[in-house]
Amino acid sequence: MNADEWLRAFAAELHQRRVAVDAARHVVAEAATHLREGGGDPWLVFGPPPSYAAAIVESIGTTPGPRPGPVRLHARGITKRYGRRTVLRDASLTVRAGQIAAVVGANGCGKSTFLRICAGLVSPDAGEVSVSGRLGYCPQQGGTADFLLPDEHFVLVGAGQGVARGPARRAGRAAARHLGWDAEGDVLARHLSGGTRQKLNLTMSTLAEPDVLLLDEPYQGFDQGSYVNLWDQLIRLRDEGRAIVVVTHLLNQLDRVDVVLDLTTAQPGGRS
Amino acid sequence: MNRLVTVAEMTLRELARRRGVLLLLLLMPLVFWLIRRDSHVGQSIRALLLGISWAVSTAALFATSAAREIEPRLRLAGYRPHHLYLGRMLGLWVLGLAVSVPFFLLTVFDTTNLRYAGIAVAMLCCVAVAAPFGMLIGALLPRELEGTLLLLTVVAMQMLLDPASSGAKLTPFWSSREIGTWAVDHTDDGYLTRGLLHGLVVTVLLTVTVAGVFAVRLRRRRHLHHVPLT
Amino acid sequence: MDSDRRGQWLRGVLDLCVLALLREGESYGYQLAQSLDAAGVGPIQGGTLYPVLLRLQRTGLVTAQWRAGGSGPARKYYQLTDDGRAALHQGGNAWLAFVAPVTGIVTKGVEG
Repeated sequence: MNADEWLRAFAAELHQRRVAVDAARHVVAEAATHLREGGGDPWLVFGPPPSYAAAIVESIGTTPGPRPGPVRLHARGITKRYGRRTVLRDASLTVRAGQIAAVVGANGCGKSTFLRICAGLVSPDAGEVSVSGRLGYCPQQGGTADFLLPDEHFVLVGAGQGVARGPARRAGRAAARHLGWDAEGDVLARHLSGGTRQKLNLTMSTLAEPDVLLLDEPYQGFDQGSYVNLWDQLIRLRDEGRAIVVVTHLLNQLDRVDVVLDLTTAQPGGRS
Repeated sequence: MNRLVTVAEMTLRELARRRGVLLLLLLMPLVFWLIRRDSHVGQSIRALLLGISWAVSTAALFATSAAREIEPRLRLAGYRPHHLYLGRMLGLWVLGLAVSVPFFLLTVFDTTNLRYAGIAVAMLCCVAVAAPFGMLIGALLPRELEGTLLLLTVVAMQMLLDPASSGAKLTPFWSSREIGTWAVDHTDDGYLTRGLLHGLVVTVLLTVTVAGVFAVRLRRRRHLHHVPLT
Repeated sequence: MDSDRRGQWLRGVLDLCVLALLREGESYGYQLAQSLDAAGVGPIQGGTLYPVLLRLQRTGLVTAQWRAGGSGPARKYYQLTDDGRAALHQGGNAWLAFVAPVTGIVTKGVEG
C-alpha cells in the first residue's frame, strides 16, 4: 500500500465514521503534507488507517449524523411458513430516511425471505409492510440479463422511470464508477466476473433513485477494494436520506449501521 | 409506449445474441421441410409451418424463462405487467416474422401452383400463436427442459392428429394447417375462414391467459402498503 | 529505554510540550515533530501528534489556518490563543509541581 492508497483508505475510514466532510478533508490534507515533507511509511508514521481514523474521531468527534428522517419502511409481525417449517416469526423492522439497517442471522434463518417480503415479491402468512416512496431491490443473484450489455441494462431500468436512453446510460455508468467499475465495455452480462455482475446488479437497484433500498448480500464475489467502495456508496446514499436495508452475514460491519435485526435470536429453533 | 418498445427491443437483442439458438431456430423448419420435400408438396409445407411454430414457441419459452428473475425488479423500477409481457410478445412476433421471410421465399421459388398469400397468412398464424404459446409454457413451467418437452408433445400431437378430427381443432396450430391446405390443395374458402378465425381466437385466448399469469405473478401483494412520501 | 513507558509519559504531557513550543511562534505539524525530536523528547510520529493538535484546536487552545509555505506545499499553521497561554501556564505549573517530587524520589532511588 503506497501513501496515496493509505490516504484513500484513511479518507474512507473517516467518512464511514461520519467525520464531517470538511474536517475530514483537512485531516487528510494535513497527513498528506506531513508525508510529503517527512517521507516515511504511512503505516509507521500514522498506523493502520482504521486506528488512526479512530484516534481522529476521539479528538474531534463526529458530526451528529444527519438526524434520521421520517419512517420509510415499517415491517411488523412478519411471519412466514414453508410447509410446517416456520422461517420467520413475528419479525419487525423500522427504518427511517438516512438510516442503514442490517438484517443478520445464521444461514437459513429467513433473511432473504424477509427482504423479499419487504420488496413485495413474496407474501407473508401474517404481518404487513409499509413503504413510503420508491422501492429498490437488489437480489442476491440473477437480477441481470445474461445476453445484454451493462448499458442496455441501464437503458432498460431507466425506461421504467421514463428516463431517455442517453441520460440512463450516463447515470448507470456514473453509479458504476462509485463502485469502482467502468461499465462502458462491450461485455455481455454473462461474461462479467461474479463480482462485476454483482456491481451491475447493485447499480441497477440504485439507478431508479429509490427511497428505500433493499440489498440481499450485495457483495458476493467482491474484492477488498470493491467492498470498501460498496460501503462508501451505501453511506453516501444514507447521507442523501435513503433508507437502506442490507442482508449480511458479516458481523464486523455492524458498527456502521444504525439498526440491526437479528433473525437468529428472534426465532429460537426456527420450528413451529 | 416507450417501455413496451424497450422491452421488445431488449428481447430481440437478447435472442439475436443467442446465435446457437437462432441457428437451431432456422434449422428446425428447414429440416422439417427437407425431410418431407420428396413426398407430397402439402406435406413439406405443413412440416415447414410446424417447424416455424415450434421454433418461435421455443424462442418464446427461452426468452420467458430467462426473464423470470429480472422481471420482478423491472416491475419495481416502474414497469406495469402489461409492459413486460406485451413488450416481450412484440419482440417475439418481430423475430418470428424475420424467421418466416426466408422460408416464405423458399416456398415461392421451390414450388409452383400455390396460393402464396395463403402460405404467408399461414406463417403469420404460426408466429402469432407461437409467441404467446411459448410464453405461457415458459411462465407456467419454471424449467426450460420441462417446457421444451411439453412443446415437443404438442408439436408431435399436431403432426399425428388427423386435421379433420374434432380433437385437432383444440391444438394451437390447427389454423396454419387449415390455411396451408387451402393454399396447397386449392380447397374452398371455408378452410381459409376457419383457419383465420381459429388463429385469431387462439392468439387472443393465449394472450389473455399470459396476461392473467403475469398479472398474478407480478401483482401488488396485499401485505405491502405504499404510503406517500413525507 | 522502554518505549512503551515513554509513550505513556508522552501521552500525558505532549499537549503541554506543543503549547510551549507554540509560545515561541506559530508552527505546523511536521516542524513541531522535528522540534520535539531536536529537543530530545524523541521521535514523535504523526499518528500521535495530530490527534493532540486537533484536540487543542477543538478546545480553543490553538487556532489553525492553511497557508502556502515559502516553497513547499500548503501547510496548516497552528497559533497559540489566549486560552492556550492560560492553559499552558496552569498545566505547566501543575506538571512542574508534579515532576519535582518525582525527580527527587527517583534520584534518591537511583543514586542510593
